[in-house]
Amino acid sequence: MRPIEKYVEKMENKDFAGLAELFSADGVICDYCTNSASQREYHIYGKEAINMFFRNKFGFRQYSIAEAEVVNDTQAEFIANFGGYNIMAIATVRNVDEDGLITNLTVRPK
Amino acid sequence: MGVYAITGASSGIGAKTKELLLERGHEVINIDLKGGDICVNLASPEGRQEAIDKLHELHPEGLDGMICNAGVSGACGNLPLIISLNYFGTVAVAKGVYDLLKKKGGSCVVTVSNTISQGAGRKDIVDLLNNIGDEKRVLSLVSAMDETNLSVGNSLYVSTKYALARWVRRVASSWAANGVRINAVAPGNVHTAMTATMSTSAKMALNALPIPTKYGQECLMDPEEIAEVMVFLSSSAARGVNGNIMFVDGGTDALLNSEKVY
Repeated sequence: MRPIEKYVEKMENKDFAGLAELFSADGVICDYCTNSASQREYHIYGKEAINMFFRNKFGFRQYSIAEAEVVNDTQAEFIANFGGYNIMAIATVRNVDEDGLITNLTVRPK
Repeated sequence: MGVYAITGASSGIGAKTKELLLERGHEVINIDLKGGDICVNLASPEGRQEAIDKLHELHPEGLDGMICNAGVSGACGNLPLIISLNYFGTVAVAKGVYDLLKKKGGSCVVTVSNTISQGAGRKDIVDLLNNIGDEKRVLSLVSAMDETNLSVGNSLYVSTKYALARWVRRVASSWAANGVRINAVAPGNVHTAMTATMSTSAKMALNALPIPTKYGQECLMDPEEIAEVMVFLSSSAARGVNGNIMFVDGGTDALLNSEKVY
């Protein structure tokens, strides 16, 4: 599976621990969709932070994705739900290290 | 050595703060519903006034510190109590001993919560508390709410703590100009007698609010971690710190709001 496919799978399953394992030690997720949902942008630095952050978001039902579709080698589209506010989003794996771990992933409104 | 008054010091963070102050040789007066040196109900205007009068009677020369720590959680099942104790109980006592703090150039520390940054509070309630301050009207409003709904209790809890933090920021400048510093501590989830006996589902909910300094440990903050900061803020070592909302949550706020620098 390509990194973007693994990302979608972990997000759909709300698997925060598995999601974190897709990232390098200093991997980063920047999610800019939150502006539309009147929330602060998500900027999460480091795999442990990704683990804890999504444990919180999934645990409190503040984030989920639905209707996901991988559109090319590095991108997937989905409906992102921010605590009840739906946004059509596109995630992009921008960089991967030599071990195949994601170092930079962004999510933007489509 | 100094004279410190503290509310809610019969258990939890308050008890540990009292213990640390005593260890450092200070005199400490505990104001609490049960087991206090002054036993009053700070949820009532009469109880607050009694505490204020007693402190004036005991220490007319002034106080070195007033630590306003008493409060209840959003899960207490009593919505009016959340409003009366957490917000009005704190503000009234702090204001009531302001003259005593001025006499000794003392400081005030208020306990809020790191949940203030997580967006669960009700801005309308916060504004009513800070801008109107009419306890009877706010109590009438919340009495009509569903107190069996945990999220209602939680949102009121966060609202009272947010309002307290804003009140601290609002008065900090003028109080400091009169020689009195005031700061707030915003703790994360703390291990207390209550959390030790809570249900598995409640524990799971707590663990979904991760504490980075406890990564992988499935445990909460120790009351002493919060108490140490409260003692620091109330001491002269923190003489340059005023109007600060200090998060003592092991980095939870930084985790959830990394871009919020100020």
